[in-house]
Amino acid sequence: MEITSFYFLCFFAALLALYYLVSKRGQWILLFAGSLVYYWFAGSGWLILYPAAAAAATFISTAAMERAERAGKQGLRTAAVLADVLFLIGVLALLKYLKFGMHQADGTIRALAVPLGLSYYTFTLAGYAMDVYNGIAERQRNPAKLLLFGMFFPTMVSGPIQTYRETGAELFKPHRLDYRTVTRGLQRMVWGFFKKLVISERAAVLANTIFQGYGRYPGAYIWFGAVMFTIQLYTDFSGCMDIVIGAAEALGIRLPENFAQPFFSRTISEYWRRWHITLGVWMRNYVFYPLLRTKGMMQLSRTLRKKLGKKAGKEITTILAMFVLWTAVGLWHGGDIKYVIGSGLLHWFYIVAGELTLPFWKKVLPALHIRMEGKGADFFRIVRTFILVNVGNVFFNAASAGDACAMLRLGVSRWNPQILVNGSLLSLGLDWEDMAILAISVLVLFLVDLLSVLPDRQGNVMCVRDRIAERKLPVRWLFWLCLLFFVIIFGEYGPGYSSAAFIYQGF
Amino acid sequence: MTRDEIYDRLNEVFRDVFDDESITVNDRTTSADIDGWDSLEHINLIAAVEQEFGIHFAMGQIVTMKNVGEMANIIAEKLAARS
Repeated sequence: MEITSFYFLCFFAALLALYYLVSKRGQWILLFAGSLVYYWFAGSGWLILYPAAAAAATFISTAAMERAERAGKQGLRTAAVLADVLFLIGVLALLKYLKFGMHQADGTIRALAVPLGLSYYTFTLAGYAMDVYNGIAERQRNPAKLLLFGMFFPTMVSGPIQTYRETGAELFKPHRLDYRTVTRGLQRMVWGFFKKLVISERAAVLANTIFQGYGRYPGAYIWFGAVMFTIQLYTDFSGCMDIVIGAAEALGIRLPENFAQPFFSRTISEYWRRWHITLGVWMRNYVFYPLLRTKGMMQLSRTLRKKLGKKAGKEITTILAMFVLWTAVGLWHGGDIKYVIGSGLLHWFYIVAGELTLPFWKKVLPALHIRMEGKGADFFRIVRTFILVNVGNVFFNAASAGDACAMLRLGVSRWNPQILVNGSLLSLGLDWEDMAILAISVLVLFLVDLLSVLPDRQGNVMCVRDRIAERKLPVRWLFWLCLLFFVIIFGEYGPGYSSAAFIYQGF
Repeated sequence: MTRDEIYDRLNEVFRDVFDDESITVNDRTTSADIDGWDSLEHINLIAAVEQEFGIHFAMGQIVTMKNVGEMANIIAEKLAARS
């Protein structure tokens, strides 16, 4: 039951209607039952025992932490949280990286099936356990509620990774039927369907043609393919988030945002504060900060400061911790080296190189009368960041790290920008009509993202959905109906057609 | 230590960490108000504040403090508990 499928829409419509019909106290029970039903029919069946075991372990661990605290046994408290985190991450590693499997009669090993939403419920529950340990989250005393928090059905597709202390209580409090809340949630879902079914599915055709047969596509084809994949990835993942967050919003439940117009970032660091935000926050709070606060790292920092000076000492320790952080981010995407490079260490290199060469640029650019501030400099930085991200995405989507390197070599092997305008792109799997729909849709997406960061006449920065909501009723309904019919007419879906699974669903 | 004295010393730490002598913080100052106060620099700032006041922040406090006012509150509490 893909969330872009007709079955999901029927399931969600029935759940939404029942949700506002049942008593307020029964709403979370309906969500709990709905999440179990969704998980079962989304293709995982008995694999539901994995998230159930994860929630059970976390429930027992947090209960043990509370008991140990009352008894004044700090060591036992630490042991309880460590056991839970090791169990959760251990199962994740066994299934995802070590491809742990069962020995077959013929001597081969059959990898165990990976349950839906594995890394999302694992990180959500592990973060909750560590927050309880750190004293910043209340312990959930109802195991069914904890399981609902871990596997709330929309988040099982691709997240977002939830933080219990921020949005956990949303699931259990009563929600009154509110016309504005429901319609806004549904509007956001339509926008997500537009991104996924109209843009992502078309961009995927072009990207797949080039990535799968890259030997035939030198020079500008490679860069066109990389940009198409970046558009595919962004509209796939952020479109999924719009559907997920919109569905939750229609139920009155606020989920954390995962995107904030990432392609307007001026630096790679800023990009990661705007792209897959909840993963970045999780890695910062539970990997990066704790690592820098270990006795070893703090001692190393003090020693380096004494020997090399304050600035160098600080920078070296941070660079080392960031190396671990970016390796973890790369590994989260998958055990393959292409992810460790493309979504991890390459970004670490970008950030470190940027920091280390900054003093050089600060000296050289003014001497060349090139301004480092202002709109021109910002535009340059945004384009540079976009190009760097695209290079990383070549690794992400290529079959292997070796293929990615070969593609990048081919990308600079020939100067053929004419292929972008002489009709050659029409041989990549989309006819001119589909190309035109893709181009217009990407332009609309760009304008919507731009309007979301530019201030209006009164100087307020508002998302486009809020701007539309301020219009008169016929205008706003006309807009949303046009978008809906655009998706119905031009979306890639329907009987005989199965939209590709969301890319981040595999993580 | 009075709250004014805490702020005098906090201003010195902020100016040193962010290399900007013009910084003056108050209860409502957040990371959005200071150029360079991102998640990387936050942990360096925390270490510098700890060294200045001879205290130790808990991990929960590090990730939840929303502004300098909350930081000053925690510092005041820790100093009061020590004396």
